[in-house]
Amino acid sequence: MAPPGPEGGRAAAGAVAPGKKITARIKRTLPVKGPQAPTLSELMRWYCLNTNTHGCRRIVVSRGRLRRFLWILLTLSAVGLILWQCAELLLNYYSASVSVTVQFQKLPFPAVTICNINPYKYSSMKDYLSELDKETKKALETFYGFSEGKSKVRRSVDEWNSTGSDFFKQIPLLKFEDFSKTATDLRSGQKRKIEGSVFHKDSSIVNSGDSNDIIGFQLCDANNSSECALYTFSSGVNAIQEWYKLHYMNIMAQIPLETKEKLSYSADDLLLTCFFDGLSCDKRHFTRFHHPLHGNCYTFNSGENGTILSTSTGGSEYGLQVVLYIDEADYNPFLVTSTGAKIIVHDQNEYPFIEDIGTEIETAAATSIGMHFTRSRKLSKPYSDCTETGADIPVENLYNKSYSLQICLHSCFQKAMVDSCGCAQYAQPLPAGAEYCNYKKNPNWMYCYYRLHEKFVKEQLGCQQICKDACSFKEWALTTSIAQWPSAVSEDWMLRVLSWDKGQKINKKLNKTDLANLMVFYKDLNERFISENPANTLVILLSNFGGQLGLWMSCSVVCVIEIVEVFFIDSLSIVMRCQWQKAKKWWNDRKRDRLGKPPQAGDLERQGHDNPVCIDEDLPTFNTALRLPLPQDSPLPRTPPPNYSTLRLETAFTEQLPDTLEVGQH
Amino acid sequence: MAGLMSCLPLADGSMNLKKYFVRALHRLQKGPGYTYKELLVWYCDNTNTHGPKRIIKEGPKKKLIWFFLTLLFASLVFWQWGILINTYLSYNVTSSLSIGFKTMKFPAVTVCNANPFKYSEVKHLLRELDRLIEAALERILQPAPGNSSENTSPPLDLGLWHQIPLVLIDEHDKDNPVILDIFESNQTALGNQTAGGNQTAAGNQTAAGNQTAAGNQTAGDNQTAAGNQTAAGNQTAGGNQTAAGNQTAAGNQTAAPPAPANATSEEKKYKLAVKLCSHQGSNNCTYRNFTSAAQAVTEWYILQSTSILSKVPLHERIRMGYQAEDMILACLYGAEPCNYKNFTQIYHPDHGNCYIFNWGMDEEALNSSNPGAEFGLKLILDISQQDYIPYLSSAAGARLMLHQQKSFPFLKDQGIYAMAGTETSIGVLVDELERMGYPYSDCTMNGSDVPVKNLYSQYNTSYSIQACLRSCFQNHMIEICGCGHYMFPLPEGVNYCNNEDNPGWAYCYSSLRSSIRHRQICIDSCKETCNDTQYKMTISMADWPSEASEDWIFHILSYERDMSTNVTLDRNGIIKLNIYFQEYNYRTISESAATTIVWLLSSLGGQFGFWMGGSVLCLIEFGEIIIDSLWITVINVISWCKGLKQKRVQARYPDAPPTVSELVEAHTNLGFQHEDTGALPGDEALPPEPGTPPPNYDSLRVQPLDVLGPDSDAETE
Repeated sequence: MAPPGPEGGRAAAGAVAPGKKITARIKRTLPVKGPQAPTLSELMRWYCLNTNTHGCRRIVVSRGRLRRFLWILLTLSAVGLILWQCAELLLNYYSASVSVTVQFQKLPFPAVTICNINPYKYSSMKDYLSELDKETKKALETFYGFSEGKSKVRRSVDEWNSTGSDFFKQIPLLKFEDFSKTATDLRSGQKRKIEGSVFHKDSSIVNSGDSNDIIGFQLCDANNSSECALYTFSSGVNAIQEWYKLHYMNIMAQIPLETKEKLSYSADDLLLTCFFDGLSCDKRHFTRFHHPLHGNCYTFNSGENGTILSTSTGGSEYGLQVVLYIDEADYNPFLVTSTGAKIIVHDQNEYPFIEDIGTEIETAAATSIGMHFTRSRKLSKPYSDCTETGADIPVENLYNKSYSLQICLHSCFQKAMVDSCGCAQYAQPLPAGAEYCNYKKNPNWMYCYYRLHEKFVKEQLGCQQICKDACSFKEWALTTSIAQWPSAVSEDWMLRVLSWDKGQKINKKLNKTDLANLMVFYKDLNERFISENPANTLVILLSNFGGQLGLWMSCSVVCVIEIVEVFFIDSLSIVMRCQWQKAKKWWNDRKRDRLGKPPQAGDLERQGHDNPVCIDEDLPTFNTALRLPLPQDSPLPRTPPPNYSTLRLETAFTEQLPDTLEVGQH
Repeated sequence: MAGLMSCLPLADGSMNLKKYFVRALHRLQKGPGYTYKELLVWYCDNTNTHGPKRIIKEGPKKKLIWFFLTLLFASLVFWQWGILINTYLSYNVTSSLSIGFKTMKFPAVTVCNANPFKYSEVKHLLRELDRLIEAALERILQPAPGNSSENTSPPLDLGLWHQIPLVLIDEHDKDNPVILDIFESNQTALGNQTAGGNQTAAGNQTAAGNQTAAGNQTAGDNQTAAGNQTAAGNQTAGGNQTAAGNQTAAGNQTAAPPAPANATSEEKKYKLAVKLCSHQGSNNCTYRNFTSAAQAVTEWYILQSTSILSKVPLHERIRMGYQAEDMILACLYGAEPCNYKNFTQIYHPDHGNCYIFNWGMDEEALNSSNPGAEFGLKLILDISQQDYIPYLSSAAGARLMLHQQKSFPFLKDQGIYAMAGTETSIGVLVDELERMGYPYSDCTMNGSDVPVKNLYSQYNTSYSIQACLRSCFQNHMIEICGCGHYMFPLPEGVNYCNNEDNPGWAYCYSSLRSSIRHRQICIDSCKETCNDTQYKMTISMADWPSEASEDWIFHILSYERDMSTNVTLDRNGIIKLNIYFQEYNYRTISESAATTIVWLLSSLGGQFGFWMGGSVLCLIEFGEIIIDSLWITVINVISWCKGLKQKRVQARYPDAPPTVSELVEAHTNLGFQHEDTGALPGDEALPPEPGTPPPNYDSLRVQPLDVLGPDSDAETE
């Protein structure tokens, strides 16, 4: 509906300027003008009658105050409901749905890392550990009256009381009576006062009042000897082992890696037989991996040479079968107290945290480990707080494997260790430029380490907050069962043949407690893949919006545009126009006042026509609203704005109304 | 329109039908009575979609904006509809998880002995074999050649040996390993080496597959040389191959990864290998060599014993296995006692007689409604370890498995061991996965749509992927080797392989087994079942019986079984098992369709409503408009053709006077042109009728107003 062209357009066209003709033409065809409705209420009325939403029309059309009120209420509540529901939809936009798919397929075989529980051959470590062992034995004798029986001679105990024990000077083992805060020094037998805080390593479990002789050791800050921490243990077994381990790490930290690798087991030592997927395999399928606490470990199918083996048949025959040689006689008596091997099943890109999540396997037994493969995938931001590659975590990955939460925590701790103690902890890889702690260089490190570790466990270092879990991970669920191996009747030939396998080197018959049989296989080739998917997409969100809008008010984006247009642009411009006119009127009044001319009656009348104030209710005519100069010769100055369909409808309605009333009367 | 109706030559009232048809025809001819513009305007004004109304109701500038907005929204709607339909057709699923405790069917429990037969029963069959292997081990372990005359009292049956011989490979000289036949007295004699040349041939052929046999990495020229050589030369050629065989999976041409073998001098000097020939004395041989002699011996023994035992009829094999009353000493289910009669016997080729508790074949499956060890199954088994076959199975214990009712137990895949002399407690959690079938996921409900004949259906068991894979393998075996493998069931009319009837079966089997291609075929053709049930087990062990209770327990059990006061059992044979539900005994992941047709419709409606406020009715409106416009087009085309014809006629008679009707038509709308001129002449005097527009159309009411605007503009200009 094209409104009648404004006078301004005509004026512009009248001015003869050839260049401006086009602009004039544009102006004429696309005239710039404000909203057609002169007042706000008019605008609202027009909107309500013409809008596509369903409620508004009812408000205008309804007769009776109650009815109108009800319709207003209903419309408003519908608007409220729409807003509420849409807000709900928006808030739930970032939700994920889980899907589980199972696929039967050829599966990549995981990497299997195998370690002897004992890290280094005791016989070859003798040079490094003899001092420490001597001290340990002495401590055992002093505290518990234990001396090595003749039956169990491991090696000759020579010059028992020759001194040179740095260990006890550094960290003495103490035995002390409860409550009294006095302790007996192991070596001197002196009693001394204990200061500083006491950490009961086991205190949460054991009531420390029970036994009156508690073993522990004291760690002091070397710079400030008054700052000491005392670690006590409810059992001497733990105390001795913990104490031994501290010193052991000290010693090991000073040995270069190549030497350590030589001191540990070689692949030939550890692996007696190997069988994979029905075919024989040998040490070339294993990759050596040096673990600081477990010595040489061997990873089967590490993918180092670029190929990853896969299995296309499940079942124990087609997995990995290994017989391990666990040389029990060569175990370190203080460091490890159990016999066997540790294995871990992991992805080729994962670092094997063998000390954390390894599975121990027994000697003289066949351990069969059935695997079930599950892959999971979470959605990263903004759905959940996980990391895809770890690149967004401000902790440097010290392991050169793919990111995992474990790696992050360890790296974070190591970093904190280097920062605060000046040296790196032995069990974790070295950051650039740091070196492992040993008390020749860092006499203070143990105290520092224990303090830091305490903090770490109590989550005060902030590592747990920084590190996020990885978004995707692979998991092999293991079912472990054990059978006796070799069986009583096959023991004889089996040991003979295995000795022959081995025996071309070692000329002694194997004992069955030196052997462990391990089978790792897929129980089935089903890969279970659990993945999160976005529950909503933009398309679905929009259609949900549309559903809500349509359900409550039969509204659409067009309505929204209408609303914006009417309520913001049009109403604002109407208000502005009103203000402008008011201001103008005021200005004119003032000018007239200043001129001192009493306003003429005719003038006033004309002003009333020309500049109707917006509040005027009965003069909503179009031309006056637009302050158009009245055409002098126009016979119909006050024709109502003809093109408003509202008006048309309105009139139709008012015309109709008496009709219906009449009908009612008749 | 009414006027037109009256113009029609009306027939009698009885001709109602005809009248109706005629009216319909006329309507059709007349068309909707609009021009395109009218039609569009009418549509825009009256449609229920929100955009178009704006186009005609606003001023010229806004008109333009609204026109583009409407177009934009319409295209958005169609685009998003495309996405939605695509999403629907991808048949996504959502999973829901439920965990808890409910009364569930207790799983079927299969218990077997790790050893298939009692040695005392099969000794007469395996005697020769055992003597052979003992003698062979004797020679291997004391490799002092020449004087190792053990003087075994009866001569060894070397026929059995020669079917599948074990050979020793001497690798003292890295480059020229020597193959030594164990029972050849003179190892360096060339008697055996007549086959040397043949082995080169074998080397060429068996390089396929992953077989670490005589795949040769030394270049082909070496072989051809060997082929031409004399007997003495052959030996070295053979040696080359075995060296190559060492390197696993070395193809023919690819240079194997540099062997670190020559780095240390402490390498093993001897290796055992199994020589497999396609048939005896044939050229086609491979050496299957092992890094460990123990493995070689076991593998060899299994091949040989399989061949022997496959000739024994089934009932005989069942008799040789462990009997239920000997094996199952005590049984308690919940509070109810049970005994070996509650177990169903099944013959399992790997483990001999197996016994299944609660298989559900004949009677209803038992339910368990309580968690905890007290309400589970408790068993005491005797595996009598002294009666094991020494070379066949080196691990001792019971093999057990939990599985669904009416399914076949595949112990090699899913079975677990229980160790002798211990009490093994197994807490069970049922992990179920219920999936929707086609088209949501690629799985099968009952295996009927899998193209592999299920050989395990003879046990009346349900379909499972393991059954499918094994059937697939057996079918391949029968197809290629001509006989069935002893470990799998047989289809009709086929026999098990044995050395006499199928001398090359071991060769055939081992090449088939390691063929990746055949495995892949089986994997591709088998589908997993839609309802996948796993029994997750928490296994723990303790020593049993304790030292204090040992005496009386053994005494009672011996008394009950053998009616003797002597203790006939020992720690090495006795196993206690507890199988029970955990506190949470089920975890069910079930799938449901993420997108249903209802979802699709409401999303489509939502999109349409969101952008344009439309509904299905709007689509129908639009369709109507399209039909109308087509109609108009057709009518226009017809009239145009007619006009053309008329022009031609007029051209022939240029001075023919136009009829009145023509004149009238000329300034009324075109839509009426085709109207039968013959009908009009009688009423030509009728007043303004043809010119009046159809009065009841809204659009027409609006139209004049619309036209008025520019007109008035023009006037003022």
